[in-house]
Amino acid sequence: MDILDKYKKAWENQPEENDRVNEAQIYKMAHSKSSSIVKWIFIIGILEFVVFNSLYFFVDLDSAHREYEKLGLENFVLYTQIIAYGILFYFLVMFYMNYKNISTSDSTRVLMRKIIKTRKTVRNYVLFNLGYIALVMVAFTIASINVNTEELNNKQIALLIFFMIIITFVILGLMFLFYQLIYGILLRKLKRNYKELAKLEEE
Amino acid sequence: MQKDLEEKFLADFKNNQNIVHKICRIYTTNADAHNDLFQEITIQLWKNYPKFRGDSKFSTWMYRVALNTSISLYRKSTKRISTQDFDDVAFKVKSHEYDDTKEVQLNALYNGIHKLSDIEKALIFLYLENKSYDEISETLGISNGNARVKMNRAKEKLKTILNP
Repeated sequence: MDILDKYKKAWENQPEENDRVNEAQIYKMAHSKSSSIVKWIFIIGILEFVVFNSLYFFVDLDSAHREYEKLGLENFVLYTQIIAYGILFYFLVMFYMNYKNISTSDSTRVLMRKIIKTRKTVRNYVLFNLGYIALVMVAFTIASINVNTEELNNKQIALLIFFMIIITFVILGLMFLFYQLIYGILLRKLKRNYKELAKLEEE
Repeated sequence: MQKDLEEKFLADFKNNQNIVHKICRIYTTNADAHNDLFQEITIQLWKNYPKFRGDSKFSTWMYRVALNTSISLYRKSTKRISTQDFDDVAFKVKSHEYDDTKEVQLNALYNGIHKLSDIEKALIFLYLENKSYDEISETLGISNGNARVKMNRAKEKLKTILNP
């Protein structure tokens, strides 16, 4: 007899759990708050949207606007912001739809794919934002050079470009690291399991 | 309407709760985590119950939701209790026919399963519960052939663990 058959017999004869729950306990549990990874992904996703969009509160808008005008960037800022809000709305809708689509009645593989997709939506939004920040920095640098072109010598222009590049990279780098941290902690186990199932399909 | 649904759910759940207990015992190693996972599975079952149309058996649907919750939704509790492992203390038996060797074997089996990956745990669990390959492949979302291949590997791994 196969060794596993022996253990299977033990499995089949295993006694009923002593610690059985009654209907009142089931009711109470069923109505308690979930602490599942999906819920965390939803909460953190919403937080990321909120955080990225409240960054503007830290900017003195009036003086920023004067600065834009001085540099001749007011139209650039206005149009890119309209586009950015359109894109934000698109991402929010996608995020919510993905989240709503997650169902534990799906097969394990489909469920995992949907969870990862939900998370990826927020990641893409963050990447889009980082790209937008980089674009604004570049526009600022170019405009500053254009406006002040008579006062600046070549060395100063080179320095300005150099510092802008450094600042851009530091900001983007920090955000990226922070983001990888949240993403990594939340999805490490899920990704490992998904890989195991997906690898199986490729074999 | 809601009340009917609720009553039906409670009855169905209560009669099949052993499935959930077994899955919790496979995926956790202490009583606290067991209860945490049990609660999360209960939440997920109730949340998805309106979608359960009854075209499959309640227990079949329960296997799927409970395994999915354990593999993909449950975040291991950060509370660690330093007391004895669950396996050594739990499952004291009342039945007379039940003999000790079976209990020792059962504990060894659970301990062995704990060393497998999450996916392998699910495969072995479904094997122990006598599920067909069709059902296994449908539950996990992989093809029938791959389910067989992976099952054989998981069984071999478990055998080595049980009988080194």
